[in-house]
Amino acid sequence: MTPLSHYLIFSGVLFSLGLAGAIIRRNILVVFMCLELMLTAANVALVGFSRAQGLEGVPVYDAQLLVLFIMAIAAAEVAVGLALIVAMFRARRGVESSSLTSLKD
Amino acid sequence: MDLAISAIIFYVLAAAALLSAVGVVALRNPVSCALSMALCFGFVAAIFFGMGASFIGIAQIIIYAGAVLVLFLFIIMMLDVKQEEPVSGSHWFCITGVVMAGMLAGIFCTATLRLPGATGGRCPVRVLVENLGEMNLGNKSQTTPPASPASYGGALPALCPEKHGSSDARLLGENLFSHYSITFAVLGFALLAGAVGAVALGRKLHRD
Repeated sequence: MTPLSHYLIFSGVLFSLGLAGAIIRRNILVVFMCLELMLTAANVALVGFSRAQGLEGVPVYDAQLLVLFIMAIAAAEVAVGLALIVAMFRARRGVESSSLTSLKD
Repeated sequence: MDLAISAIIFYVLAAAALLSAVGVVALRNPVSCALSMALCFGFVAAIFFGMGASFIGIAQIIIYAGAVLVLFLFIIMMLDVKQEEPVSGSHWFCITGVVMAGMLAGIFCTATLRLPGATGGRCPVRVLVENLGEMNLGNKSQTTPPASPASYGGALPALCPEKHGSSDARLLGENLFSHYSITFAVLGFALLAGAVGAVALGRKLHRD
């Protein structure tokens, strides 16, 4: 059987990939996808801990409920964030993060 | 070291999920990125199934691979997003991002592998509490360490919710509607606020 540490390493590497994408990419839609990847990585770690803390063959369901709440909040976040991206596209005619320089100029 | 078939399946699924996550980061076309993300979420859902969290896996498929992905694809096709053009001087951006993410991954891996109980099959939380008691950091109230299963370093305990007379989803639902019912109601309001906010943001502004 797989030990908990391998699940945690998988989760950490997935989170780092999401972070790399959020830093490297300039398309805001792809940055948003990378944020979703990071949330999913956190969910993997939570489910792993719930399994490892479980007693008598029953996992700790508090962690799994936290995962459900994270998923629901992520769905709401996607709705609001995509509406923001559409509003930005209307204002700037583009979804590149390099076009958001009005505070710099 | 004998590898169980479930461990092999986990490693294969994890490698596939990481590969498709690399696809999200590296592919130029946003539509390919979105499809690669769907693939990654599908593999992660399969890993959830393997960990015995079947309801979470189903929710992952329905919410992420269903709703969120369709929303992303809809927006990408509505805005008609072009492929990213390489800009001069973006190499340093890439190098910085890769180095920072690699350092973070290294921190995660070493911290996980060097946990006090990671090799001896003991619970790191319990080891930490014991060491804290020895160091005696001015904490006079001696609390007894919580009884934790010694499963962090070794194999995870087998799951059998059916022994308690109910399935995974039923136990999860009982917890959700008994201990977390108020949180659940608040969550409904949060979703409503998100929907109202999306409609308000998506409205056309009339400036006259």
